[in-house]
Parts: sequence; structure tokens; C-alpha cells
Amino acid sequence: MNRKRLGAVIDGTYNGGLTVRLDSGTTTEQLRIGDFVVVEGQRNLYFSLISDIHLKATDPRLLTGPPRDASPFIAQTLAGTSIYATVEVRPMLMLEKAGESRDLLAQEKRGGPQPVRTIPMHFAELREANELDFATVFGKEGKLNFAMGMPLTMDIPICLSLDRFVERSNGIFGQSGTGKSFLARLIISGVIKSKAAVNLIFDMHDEYSFDKQTEDGHWVKGLRQIFGSKVLIYSLDEKMGRRTGRNVDVTLKIGLNQMEEADIVLLSEELNLRKTAEATIGLLRDAFRGQWLLKLLEMTPEELEAFCRGSGAHPASMASLQRNLKRLRRKDYIVNEASFSALDDMVEALDRGKHVILQFGRHNTVLDYVLVSNLVTRRVRQRYEDKMRRYEETQAVADQPRPLMITIEEAHKFLNPAVARQTTFGTIAREMRKYNVTLMVIDQRPSSIDPEVMSQLGTRVSGKLTEERDIDAVLTGVSRRSALRGALASLDTRQQILIMGHAVPMPIVMRTRQYDEAFYRAMGARFVTPQDAEKDIRDLFGDQ
Amino acid sequence: MKTTRIGEIIETMSTGFVAQSFKLNRPPPLGSLVLVRLPAETAESSASMDLYAVVTYGRTVGLDPSRRAVRRSTDTVFDQAIYQEHPELNRTLRTEFGAMLVGFAADGLVQQHLPSQPPPLHFSVQETPIEEVRRFTHRLHYLRLLLMDSGEVSPLQVLAANVRQVYHQRGHDRVWLDAAAREIATLLKNDHQALLTVLYAIDPAESRPRLEDGRTTHLLGGGEQI
Repeated sequence: MNRKRLGAVIDGTYNGGLTVRLDSGTTTEQLRIGDFVVVEGQRNLYFSLISDIHLKATDPRLLTGPPRDASPFIAQTLAGTSIYATVEVRPMLMLEKAGESRDLLAQEKRGGPQPVRTIPMHFAELREANELDFATVFGKEGKLNFAMGMPLTMDIPICLSLDRFVERSNGIFGQSGTGKSFLARLIISGVIKSKAAVNLIFDMHDEYSFDKQTEDGHWVKGLRQIFGSKVLIYSLDEKMGRRTGRNVDVTLKIGLNQMEEADIVLLSEELNLRKTAEATIGLLRDAFRGQWLLKLLEMTPEELEAFCRGSGAHPASMASLQRNLKRLRRKDYIVNEASFSALDDMVEALDRGKHVILQFGRHNTVLDYVLVSNLVTRRVRQRYEDKMRRYEETQAVADQPRPLMITIEEAHKFLNPAVARQTTFGTIAREMRKYNVTLMVIDQRPSSIDPEVMSQLGTRVSGKLTEERDIDAVLTGVSRRSALRGALASLDTRQQILIMGHAVPMPIVMRTRQYDEAFYRAMGARFVTPQDAEKDIRDLFGDQ
Repeated sequence: MKTTRIGEIIETMSTGFVAQSFKLNRPPPLGSLVLVRLPAETAESSASMDLYAVVTYGRTVGLDPSRRAVRRSTDTVFDQAIYQEHPELNRTLRTEFGAMLVGFAADGLVQQHLPSQPPPLHFSVQETPIEEVRRFTHRLHYLRLLLMDSGEVSPLQVLAANVRQVYHQRGHDRVWLDAAAREIATLLKNDHQALLTVLYAIDPAESRPRLEDGRTTHLLGGGEQI
């Protein structure tokens, strides 16, 4: 088996990790923080990460007076003997050695790699991980194992276990420009292909449905183009639907009657609402029920005054509330009255295994995004709650709702500590998979997301982060974080990510897979022909 | 195997021996590997045994230790001519050398530790044939025995001399030299001055002529690697 020895364990603690002295032939420059390595003990293999690198000398006096005129011969002799390097290694998983043949089948029987419960003795060998090691830990590509990327120095797939991925809410983080939406597209493609879950994507910047030019200038395909009619496009913007080759399936309207108190409170910042707004809305709701918003917006100043007298509301705050909320009415997609049928149809489509992308088109301000996403998600979740209850009653497999993964961008708008308790998203993130609904949150400032939500995230995918607070936030609730901190800060800006959590057996740094023709083909992309149209219609509207 | 007798043991102990050289003023080179062959009946085991030792010093003195040598040269007779003028010197002077035991070969196996018995007095000391040098120095554990204080020459210099000798005898085997240097670096890891003393002394580049600008003409990375 091709494997390269790097050094030997010389020190360590279970809590603090192992110290490995590098062999004289190994230079520190061969290794990087976050590299996946294997320590081979007598009984177990320890799959580990490199967390730190130190330079050392056996005689400290050598460091105070380094030999100046040392010839290459002397320099070469000293390197690795008198002066040497150690690396700190963090064992993450261990696997009992089963003789020489480590075939995957035998390992699966024994349950695969286990959490680390001990450490190896002195002089256990540290070596580079080879392909078999990666396959042992991350599994083979196929079915629910989605090849997410490759190790930095090898060309073998590292797999994400999608069934585990969709079991919990997840996060994709990274500074801007690290390719978060590209990562999301990659993962969503995997989820669609593997049928691990259905997706509802709130697509603020129109990045997911159709062709999109990347920052380095070439065009990449959208999910609709790869997966055809499996993906339905909903849009808020009527004009979007008129563009050729970019068919929109449904244009969504939001009714004032559908908005609730919590939706408006969530928008306090965007709508410039005062602190008193919540109480005022409460009074309106008591009086008008579901019609409160419509009524408020249609009140004349006299009616307003009369209402204030009758209910005890403060006239000035009432007037300012009315003024601020009038902004909502100017939105094209908001109508006085809309039924929930469009949203309920959407839930039914999801239940048939369709994936829904909600495009915002021109309405891509934070106000639109927060308002609509929250409202739609609330309805979807309600419906899922109903379905779940029904399933609990009947316990029939057919009634079990399909797992749903909701993708939101700018997640801190919904999940910051001030509002996380009130938004539907906050509820979903906290209660996890109770109703088979999970989130995939995408954000560049994880530090502004409620820590309680962060700690509930199952799998975290992160591109480069440099801000100390963001790194801390991403590592919230992760064990052995010191090893990962360095890895996170040392990622390349593009195409390098750290994945940790529920869907991978151990944290790992990788190069992400290319989102290109080969990927489209692997995802089974087909390009729509007229014959497919009929099927599309059937898919869309069900068998009638 | 054809060997050359070069001396006779005149003092012996567990760690080494002193031998009188057959050639006046020509003891074996410092650091060179010498050999004492013990036939089957004298060896501790039933089979024959070869003891290996490294030369730690050489000296020439008068036969009578209480009498110091006196000046013999004149304006016209000096250096080698003195010996022609005074042939009796070959009888009244003796050259002796000390050697430190570093291992033995018995039953075809090379051991790099002290034999259980010192070599018998008056036995012959021989030059070690090149192929035996190669065989014995294949492992480097014997180097640590050389660091024991032998009392005459600094053990560091003996060590360096031995490495230079063996390097030369092994046909400038660079791989061996690098391995030996690493072994020494490990042995002397707590004393880098001592280490540098040895390394400067065995550096193959140090023994080359220097260029005018002071650089040595070492050919690392090409040239002489074997």
C-alpha cells in the first residue's frame, strides 16, 4: 500500500492531542494546518487533523547562535536531528485494525470508524492519509453519499452523507466571494439528485434557477436547467416570466390579509417602526382580526382618530405606523386580498417531490426578502405540522411528509438574537427535524446569528473566515475547536472549504467539486425537448 | 582471507588494548578499524571470533619509559637522515597505538557492543580488509561506543577520524556519510558545539580546495553522490 511515513508520536494527552516529531525527511512545508493524517497505533488507526506546527531544537544554545558558515552538508545533517519540527495532531476518529486487509465490507460490519476514546502509545507512526483512508472515513460515492469535493492534494472524492445532512438544519458560511451560493447550488443539486429531501429555496438574487455568470466570467447552469421539471420556479416579479427561455411556473402574490403581527415586527428595522408598533398592532388585531392591515391602511385620518379614542391607542404612533406600512402597499406583488391556495399548492408540489425556487426578481430588497420568506415559510411549516399530525395518527408510510430543506440567504436577518425567537425560521432551527423541515442558512456574518441557533446547526460548511468573532460563531458547539480554528483561517478564498458536523464523520478541509459540464452530466442533466412537455404538465398539475 | 599484521597486543582490557606497531613511527591511522582474530579454541564461543577496534591514539617513545629521548639532529643530519645515522634507534624506540573495542563478529553475525573477554595479550593486530570494514560499518551503533572517554585523544576527534576513514574506505559512500552524520547529530543532540566540532571535521566539502573568493567547491546535489 502506498503510504508515506511522516513522523512518530512522542507526546500527547487525550484532551490536548498528540505531539508528533517529524522524520528528518519530512519538512514542515509538506504539511498544512487541517490536513487529514493517520496515526497508526498498535491496535487502532487514528484519523486525525493537524492542528499546529512547531519548530524545535534539541540544544537551545544552537538557536541563540545558529552556525553561519554551515555547509549544505552540515545544514542537511542538523535538519531533522538537532533542529526539528513537531506537529500537533488531533485524533478525531479511530478504527480497530483488522489484520492487514482493511476491506471496506469487513469494516462496515464492525460499524466503521468510532469516536476517539484513547490515544496511541509513544512512537506510533504518523503517515499521510491514502485513498483507502479517505474511503474508510468518508465512504464511497453513490446514492446518498454525495461527492462534495476532493482532498487538497489528492483526486479522490470526499463524500457528504446527504440523508444525515437533511436530518438537521445546516449552515453555509464564508466571507463574501468565497462561493457560498455556488456551494449551496452544489449541495442542493446533490439533494435533488439523491432525493434525500425536497427543497424550497428563497432566491434573493436570482442565482439558482437559470444561467448565471460567475465572478470569473463564465456561465454556469441553474438548477432548472439541470433538473428540468423537477424544479418549479415561483416568482414575485411578473416581468421575470416573460423572458425567453426562463419560464416561471407561478407568479406569486401576497395578500395584506396574510400578514401577521410577527411579520411586521420582523421588519421593524426596514420599515423604521417605533418600539410602540407592536402594541399598536395588537390593538388593531383585536379590533379587526385578519383584516387589520387592510383596515389600517384604508383608514382616513378621522377614522384613525376615532379608533384611537375607542381603543386607547396613541394617535401619533398610530399615524406613524400607518405611514410606514403604506410602503408595503406600493409593492407590485402585494394585493389587498389573496388566498393561501397558491402557497398550499406549493406545499402539495413539494409533497409530490418537486423542488421550488422562489425568485424575487426586481423585488430584491431586504424588506421583500424578509417579509415574503417569513410569510411563506410560516404557511409551509403550518402545513407540515398538519401533515405530521396526520402521519402520527395514521402511521401510514404514504402520509409521511417528505423531508423539506429550506434555503435562506442573509440568514442573520431572520436569525439574529433579537428576532430569532419570533421568526418561523428561528423556530425551525431550534426544533430541528420534529416536523421534517430543516433549514440551510447561508450567511457571511455567522457572528450575527443567534448563538442558540448556531449551536443547533447539524452540518456547517465554511469557506474562508478571518474575523475572529465569525470563526468563533461557526465553531459554536463544535468539540475540539482549537484544531479547526487555524484551518478555517488558512483556507484559500476560492474553492476551499471546511466541512464539519453531522453529515461528515470528522471535520475535513477540501477543494470543492467543479460546477461544470461533467457535474451537470453526473447530476443527470437533460435538456428539455417537446416530448417532455406533456410529462412536465403532468408533473406540474398531477394526474387529472 | 589475506590480512596484514600490523602490531602485537601489549596491554589489554575489556574496553580496548594497546599494541606495539611493527613499523616505527607508522601506527595505523587514527580512527581506522583494526582487527584481532581469535581462533576457535581461544574464543569465548566454540567458533572463531573477530574483534574489531578503532585506533584511538598512536605514539612513539623510548623503550625505557624513565628515559626521555634526546636531540639527535645536527646542521647536516636531520629528519629521516637521523635514522640512517643511528640505526640503533630502530631497536631503542617503539611505536605503540591504543584501540577501543567496538564490536565483534561471531558465527557470521556482527555485534556492535563489547565482547565478554578482552583479546589475549600478545595476539596480532591486523588491518581490517575493506569488505569487512563495509560489513562492520553497515550499522552505526558502534559510533556511540566511540564517545566513551578513551583518555588520550578527544573522543570527538576519534569519532570524526573514524568517520573520515570509513567514508574513504567505503569509496566515498555519500549515503553512508549522511547516515553517520545523522547518527552523530542524534548522539550529540544536547551539545551542539561538540556536534559542530565533529561535523566540521567530517564535512566532505571542508577537505576540498577553497576557491579564491573563499567558497568551497563542494558539489552537493550532483557531482560526487554515490
